[in-house]
Amino acid sequence: MMSNFDSMITRQRKWMLYWLAILVLCAGFLPYTRIFLGLILGSSISLYNLWLLQYKSEKLGRTIAAGEKPRTGLGTFSRMAAAVLAVVVAIRFDAYFHLYAVIFGIVSSYLIMTIDIIVYQFVIRNRKED
Amino acid sequence: MGALAAGIAIGLAALGAGVGNGLIVGRTVEGIARQPELRGPLMGTMFVGVALVEAVPILAVVIAFMVM
Repeated sequence: MMSNFDSMITRQRKWMLYWLAILVLCAGFLPYTRIFLGLILGSSISLYNLWLLQYKSEKLGRTIAAGEKPRTGLGTFSRMAAAVLAVVVAIRFDAYFHLYAVIFGIVSSYLIMTIDIIVYQFVIRNRKED
Repeated sequence: MGALAAGIAIGLAALGAGVGNGLIVGRTVEGIARQPELRGPLMGTMFVGVALVEAVPILAVVIAFMVM
């Protein structure tokens, strides 16, 4: 059986991939291509940030549980650099990417995470009441 | 002046996030070291806390880069 943490990170990655799939479909079929391309760019960076945070926190947890001293951090600087990279690309190729859409895309994983937590808190509470 | 504003924005956001992340990770490490069998729930709480704390400096970096 998967632990609480493992199921949570799998769920979040799954919702993020669904969100990216919807965006790709929208960029292909709807007229607002620039906005959707910006959202795809931002969300891809956001997915990378999410994966990096999950990977690093799991590694940190394993190292501590094994009783060893952790040698790496949580990768905050890498995530900031990835977000800046997305903004640089959006500013450089302004004709293809909408800047505010890129920023919304970068934040999308945090929104998905928050919605996921709220939904599953309700699910757990309802299960306990039943 | 734009570069100065960007520097102040990034610095202050990173300062707050650093203190917050330090508190979260420090307490989680303490908890896991005391009870290694509680690693799953503690990691989950730490992960969510770090992610929400880090959203603010990442946005601050992006905005600072835009105003620069």
